[in-house]
Amino acid sequence: MRLGRFVTLIGIVALGLASAQGQTLTVYSGREQSLVEPLVKQFQAETGIRVQVRYGTDAQILAALQEEGGRSPADIFWANTAGALGQAAAKGLLRPLGETLLQQPAAFVPASKAWVPITLRLRVLAYNPQKFKPEELPTSILDLPRFAQDKGLAGRIGWTPTYSSFQDMVAGMIALHGEAKTREWLSAMKALNPKSYASNPAMLDAVRAGEIDLGSTNHYYVVRFRRAGYNLGLHYFKDGDVGNLALVTGAGILKTSRNLVAANRFLTYLLSPKGQQYFAGNIGEYPLVKGVVADTHLLPLEEALKKSPRLDFEKLPLDQALKLLRELGIL
Amino acid sequence: MTSARGFPQLPGLLPFLVPALLTGGGVALPLLYLVLRALEADPETLKAILLRPKNLELVRNTLSLLLGVLLSTTLLALPLAFLTTRTGLKGKRLFSILLTLPLAIPGYVGAYVLLAATGPGGLLPLPRLEGYWGALLVLSLITYPYLFLGLRAAFLGLDPSLEEAARTLGVGPLRAFFRVVFPQLLPALLSGYLVVGLHVLGDFGTVSLLRYETFSYAIYLQYNAAFDRVYAAWLALVLLLFTGGLLLLEGVFLRRLSLARTGKGSGKKAKPISLGWFTPWAYLLLLLPVSWALVLPLCALFHLASRFPRENLTGLWEALLHSALAAIPTALLAVGMALPIAYLVVRHPSPASRLLERLAYMGYAIPPLALALAWIFFSLKSLTFLYGTLPLLVLALAFHFLAEGLGPVRGALYQVPRRLEEAARTLGDTPFRAFFRVTFPLLWRGAVAGGALAFIGAVKELPITLLLAPMGYSTLSTRVFSYTQGAMFAEAAPFALLIVLLSAAFVGVLLWTERRF
Repeated sequence: MRLGRFVTLIGIVALGLASAQGQTLTVYSGREQSLVEPLVKQFQAETGIRVQVRYGTDAQILAALQEEGGRSPADIFWANTAGALGQAAAKGLLRPLGETLLQQPAAFVPASKAWVPITLRLRVLAYNPQKFKPEELPTSILDLPRFAQDKGLAGRIGWTPTYSSFQDMVAGMIALHGEAKTREWLSAMKALNPKSYASNPAMLDAVRAGEIDLGSTNHYYVVRFRRAGYNLGLHYFKDGDVGNLALVTGAGILKTSRNLVAANRFLTYLLSPKGQQYFAGNIGEYPLVKGVVADTHLLPLEEALKKSPRLDFEKLPLDQALKLLRELGIL
Repeated sequence: MTSARGFPQLPGLLPFLVPALLTGGGVALPLLYLVLRALEADPETLKAILLRPKNLELVRNTLSLLLGVLLSTTLLALPLAFLTTRTGLKGKRLFSILLTLPLAIPGYVGAYVLLAATGPGGLLPLPRLEGYWGALLVLSLITYPYLFLGLRAAFLGLDPSLEEAARTLGVGPLRAFFRVVFPQLLPALLSGYLVVGLHVLGDFGTVSLLRYETFSYAIYLQYNAAFDRVYAAWLALVLLLFTGGLLLLEGVFLRRLSLARTGKGSGKKAKPISLGWFTPWAYLLLLLPVSWALVLPLCALFHLASRFPRENLTGLWEALLHSALAAIPTALLAVGMALPIAYLVVRHPSPASRLLERLAYMGYAIPPLALALAWIFFSLKSLTFLYGTLPLLVLALAFHFLAEGLGPVRGALYQVPRRLEEAARTLGDTPFRAFFRVTFPLLWRGAVAGGALAFIGAVKELPITLLLAPMGYSTLSTRVFSYTQGAMFAEAAPFALLIVLLSAAFVGVLLWTERRF
């Protein structure tokens, strides 16, 4: 017991000394703390580089970066959405990345070269498999309101209007089908009296509990529920449908960074087999670097890439989507 | 010293006046910025904002929740107060304390327990209550004690001779109650309604977790998810109007009531009523809120905490530290601001000092989300170096909990004999010196109590912390909120337990200072 304490003490002192000598990397993360913290700790343990993470939402971080300007202590912007990274690139906050990094991902490398895609998630339809057979579900999310009408699902549909991926999907719908069609879809959905959830797990928990029957969500949430032993259905619409919109997470290095070596190491680590394996295994996202052992719950990467429509993800008309959602009283 | 006309000598009072005025300004200024921000909108946007169909829905939701909670808390608190004061039931004092304790459950913890305990896979085989009915249940169970305490005091202060006079005139017991006793309870009811009403209007945690959109929740959504700051500012203004309306209504009603006893002699004590066959039912009634609002949540919390994943313990310590780092300076600042105001109010009563006191209480009455928004606009415009920092959070919290500190400090100051201070003054001390040499040593109890109330209040607080905390700064309360939103009920449990235990201490401090029992 005594000895153990002594060793711990020595360890703490050693750590303190190491961190005093070593460098500190500052990461602004729009990715959720509960999801990515273990990976950050893994990186620290393996490289000895101290990482300080400030967790927030993408929008919060964008606002903070502009607020801080040249004084920003941040080295890395690690975001949940390509839209936020695209905005940061457009505002000139990010520095161009080296080719070695940009060659790694299989797809979605932006034209600006200011950030690198790290993982991919797809929008899917989560449903209660005791209620529907997979083959009777609609082939496009645009047909969802009519399907729900026919099945008498008023009040038994969930959605997450405050969640960024949902807002991205609405923006994708505007980009693909125009504002009029999107307005029509949203109004038809709203007429079905859907339940608004603040988060995807809460919505899926309601599907599991039989309070609602279906809802559009991100694929890895369903994966997580399935891994926990709950039987939830996961439905992809037809290839190229906006209901399967691909959402890219990524990271970039800020122009204000003074730790370029450490920052590059961090991004390299996220794209390394170890990092990519973590995203696939622990979170259930699609790795973007080939050669990672896929999860049984996931499609092969090539197939997953075919599901989503092709869009310029940096330029999704998010403001237009938000305006529309407000106008209809959904937000 | 005051001159013959009662005008205080200014130079000696400056050490009190300056901080007091600063405090008053600190409440009023941010609100001004809120108005300015709202008025920045161009006419086109403004028209769109005011004509949104959503506004009607929000008014309807907010009002129906307000009226529903007032009604249900009355139905709860009135019989409970009667049973614990006017009857011969055993253990009345113990029940009174137990019935007050639900105050210790913050709204978002109540909502969390309801969500975690019901629905399939929950602890209780009950369908999950959400939306209006869920919010009504939780808010009623955690706010009825305000009404209960007021009514209890009123029942204890009643003069039974009035009732007896009515009875001798041949009126039945029930009619006597409604014609004689009930009117005398009105002032207590009204002031209780005001507190409960302010809680409902200001509540954010319960309605957001149970998905019922009222003004408070809508402000948060517009600011945080729809990024519509102008609309958020307007919603905050409307909510302030509601609050002002509530305050006005209460003032108008109370002024019309005048029920003081006339003549000399003290009121006699009422004879305890024996309930006969009703006794067991009465005990059941007393146990109902205790079991629903105390036993059930605590059991659920302990049960959920046992499923807490061990590897998250570091997060628990971090959140505790963050909460303390925000709450300790908040408590010190709140008491520091309360002292000069209390001093001016007690020692130099004047319309001006009363206005200051009103302002200090306003900070508490303003719905916290409106206050947080006001501070955001204020700091963005004129204190940019503060925006997104811990000091800004502490400032806003201190102004919000100033009233919590003011009550005990003022109460203690009233009990310090003025003559002591005057003796020091005649020996040549300035008022400031006299205060710190003579009065302050006698005040410490009130100051400690005020500080403790502000500290615990700041730890429990959710909406202001959510909006003003630095990025990535998660406290106990924000952790409970975000875990619950993500349906991660086991993860939230220890955070919620810590908050509830701290809040129970809060009620203890409250009872200790007010010596209500």
